[in-house]
Amino acid sequence: MREHQPDPPNPGALAHRAEARAAPVRPPGTPRDGAIPRLETVRVTAPDLARRATLETSRRRLLGAAAGFTTLFAALATKLTDATILDPVKPPPAPKNTFSTVARPLPTADRPRAMMVDRNGEILAVSLPTAAVYADPRQMMDRADAVRRLQNVLPGLNGPALLAEFTAPHREFVYVAREVGPEQELRINDLGIPGVNFLPAEARHYPLGRIAAQTIGAVDIDGHGIAGLEKSQNRRLREDPNPLRLALDVRVQAVLRDEMAKALDDFQAIGAAGIVMDVHTGEVLAMVSLPDYNANDFASAVPKARFNRAATGVYEPGSAFKLQTVGMALDPGLVHVWDRFDTTHPIDIGRFVIKDYEPMDRWLYLPEIIAYSSNIGASRIALIVGKARQRAWLRKLGFFERCPIELPEAAMPLVQSDAEWSEATVMTVSFGNGIAMTPLHLINGTVALVNGGVLFAPTLLYQDPATPRPGSAVMQPDTSDTVRKLMRDVVTHGTGTFGRVPGYFVGGKTGTSQVVRSGGYRQHTNRAGFLAAFPINAPRYAFYVMLDSPHANALSQGYSTGGEISAPVVARTIARIAPMFGLLPVTDPAEKAAIERQIDLPLQPQPPPGVIALGPGHPYPPGAADAPDDLSRKRTPAASGHALAPRAPRRYASSHASDQGR
Amino acid sequence: MPALSRADNSLLGRWWWSVDRWTLFAVSTLLGFGYLMVLSASPSVAVRIGDPRDLLIVKQITFLALAGVEIVIVSLLSPKDIRRIALVGGIVTLLLTALTLVHGVEIKGAKRWIDILGVSLQPSEFLKVFFIIVNAWLLSEQRRRPGLNGTAIALCLFAIIVLLLKAQPDVGMMALIGAIFLAQLFLNGLNLVWVAVGGALFCAGGAGSYIIFQHVRERVQDFLHPNATGAYQVHVALEAFGNGGLLGTGPGEGRIKDILPDAHADFVFAVVGEEFGLIISLLVVGIFAFIVLRGLLRLVAEHDLFTLLAAGGLLMSFGLEAFINMATALSLIPAKGMTLPFISYGGSSMLAIGLEMGMLLALTRRRHHADL
Repeated sequence: MREHQPDPPNPGALAHRAEARAAPVRPPGTPRDGAIPRLETVRVTAPDLARRATLETSRRRLLGAAAGFTTLFAALATKLTDATILDPVKPPPAPKNTFSTVARPLPTADRPRAMMVDRNGEILAVSLPTAAVYADPRQMMDRADAVRRLQNVLPGLNGPALLAEFTAPHREFVYVAREVGPEQELRINDLGIPGVNFLPAEARHYPLGRIAAQTIGAVDIDGHGIAGLEKSQNRRLREDPNPLRLALDVRVQAVLRDEMAKALDDFQAIGAAGIVMDVHTGEVLAMVSLPDYNANDFASAVPKARFNRAATGVYEPGSAFKLQTVGMALDPGLVHVWDRFDTTHPIDIGRFVIKDYEPMDRWLYLPEIIAYSSNIGASRIALIVGKARQRAWLRKLGFFERCPIELPEAAMPLVQSDAEWSEATVMTVSFGNGIAMTPLHLINGTVALVNGGVLFAPTLLYQDPATPRPGSAVMQPDTSDTVRKLMRDVVTHGTGTFGRVPGYFVGGKTGTSQVVRSGGYRQHTNRAGFLAAFPINAPRYAFYVMLDSPHANALSQGYSTGGEISAPVVARTIARIAPMFGLLPVTDPAEKAAIERQIDLPLQPQPPPGVIALGPGHPYPPGAADAPDDLSRKRTPAASGHALAPRAPRRYASSHASDQGR
Repeated sequence: MPALSRADNSLLGRWWWSVDRWTLFAVSTLLGFGYLMVLSASPSVAVRIGDPRDLLIVKQITFLALAGVEIVIVSLLSPKDIRRIALVGGIVTLLLTALTLVHGVEIKGAKRWIDILGVSLQPSEFLKVFFIIVNAWLLSEQRRRPGLNGTAIALCLFAIIVLLLKAQPDVGMMALIGAIFLAQLFLNGLNLVWVAVGGALFCAGGAGSYIIFQHVRERVQDFLHPNATGAYQVHVALEAFGNGGLLGTGPGEGRIKDILPDAHADFVFAVVGEEFGLIISLLVVGIFAFIVLRGLLRLVAEHDLFTLLAAGGLLMSFGLEAFINMATALSLIPAKGMTLPFISYGGSSMLAIGLEMGMLLALTRRRHHADL
């Protein structure tokens, strides 16, 4: 401001101003004209320079580090994008919460498995709705606590195992319990554990427990049949909700089991099998196998108890098989009831000696052979029948194949092959040794012998009486009539007198066989069987009871044979069940006498006039099988003069070719 | 916003105007996010290990608050104070780390923790921070005092630390400290040949751990064969990300935390991914990247070597921890237990990270040269 004020007149100042005007105006800070440029000397020490150089390096490297981190974070961002939206690993979908009452049905539980009832409508097997408890551990807040609380309601739970399942990786479905009743279901639901849910399930119950346990069979935890009728009828039970009516009669079943169990206990037997069949339909009314088990607890049943001795056990039938031998001899007319057979001495053949239990040492009439159960006599008859007819008969009556019954466990019989079937086999089989079969085989073949000669496929399913069951006629009715009379003699005069039931007419045949153990028969151990038909004048039911390895005691008069052990069981069973069938004891002496006349057959019947019976001097009928050499040598001198004697004895081997043709 | 005037010459006023406010803001965001995650991830873990439901939350929120205060207080300090603290703290934590071998609390087979007044501390977390500072100081001081062989001393220190950590054992911390040590040497201008040698040694160490330590081997195997049953955690974590998708299932709605034992710690990023989805997860990655990259780039203008090395080391430690944690959860690298700064559960690591960030902020404050 001052600069612009006019200066006071000053002569000296004028010159000064003039000089100032002469020089150009110099902006402040710029060097004067002609000024000597001065360089500022900056001293930089060597370490300082080095430090600066380092700093430069460090800065470059900082950029490098920044680039490195940029890469790392970019990789993170890329992977993050990839993991979330580009290629996400989707967690397995959580199961829908089935809190609603309409729960997901199991495919197998959409329809309850059909009931099984006996022939009278008694329930044998029934499926009850239950709940299966399952858990999705992923939904649980505290798995250990959940296990603890579930254990409070279900004390049987294995806590540590369940917790291990809950905590195993990737578990989304764990069964906590398979069959839970409504009350427990409610209590578990009230626990309110997240992730614990229910599925409708069904539990198979067997209200009668041990009754026919092996026959009815069992289902697995998913309701699929795994044994017995449950298995064989699985599809039927699944697809048709109507009750499956069985041939079984639980009353008969229960009585038979009861009597057998008593005998089992009395004689300390290791097991027992028993069957009752309707001889006119082939229906199995009762099938008992002891020891048995509670069908509701199949899982803990031991194999011995699960084993169905009646249909799966294969045993030698013993003397009860002699009925088949006489049947096959009577039917073609080879022998007659008045024929006599040489039982004076044991038959020595190969390594066998065929002896009688109680040798009579004389020529026995045919009824005597059955009544006294003569092995020698049966062997003589079998030799007359011969191998070919014997095998054909046995095959015809179903002894060579599995019994066609509705049990998956039905066993094959043990039968020697045609090549092995020697002359010795012909004889041993005649009295039930050297062949083994299930009790079901034996009784089914006997049914045909007593019912007039019709063979049925045995069945466990109820048969409508309105439509007669088709069977095959396997013999003449006469043969069956005769066999019935022979069976009656067994009970009235023979080995089966303990099979008698007051007021009823029972026919039977004892069958005692030795127990086969590795390579031979076990001494003093046998199976005691009794085969019976009732009422024998007009049979309706066939019975077979067999006790395995019973121990003789005072109750059996010291014997362990079928007549003493098993016949009483059958007799008591008949006495108890006959009234159920409407069969009352015959008390009227006149009626009794009439029936007895009807079925009476003397032990030593006389041939009709003009008929030459077989016997000493005439041991072979026309058409008898070719006698083997050794037997022809043993003929009595009187017999050698008989017309049949000159027949050239031929070896068995030569007849093989014609075996099938006969 | 500035309640503090430029002219305010008080301690706080000077701090506010000189501190790196962007980084401070980013760190605060992480602290807030950590608060959110502890609310979400901890209860199910607490219930599973039998603690009261809110115990972990209360503990962690306490630590978060402490860390926040710690950051501010430490960032008020001068670089000289930082060096002093680092020296003293380094000696103390080194001794404590050694003490863990004798009186350590054994957790999951490793003795890394020590009980101090009822609080479990992992001294090696702090040792790491102090070592970074001490190392930077040694390396930079070497240039000023020709007689001092800082590198040699640093190497000796490093060797001692490695021995201690191997004895604990804590392979992860060992690898982290090793990597940062190498990175600091690299920043210090170490000849690239030597850097390569160091890198090779580092890899050899990794291979050695693979051979020596059973759990290292298992984790590498899990990484290589993610479908094997053992790789359960990794697989579940990836499922969590997939479940989260773009927007996530919503806070608290995730389920990985109910499944994974380490959901609140090593796998917390998977919880983030599941509950908050891609966008927020990217934001988290972005915040970490921002802090690290901004810090490193700002250091380019730094004139002081110590500051550069120390702050660079702290930043790289921070960045590596974050990267390793997130990459583990994403199955980018073999599973390695490393906490996600400010977000994972854990008191020691929270306080150590707070210290780290506080020191970083202290070192990167604008100042006159004379203030060094």
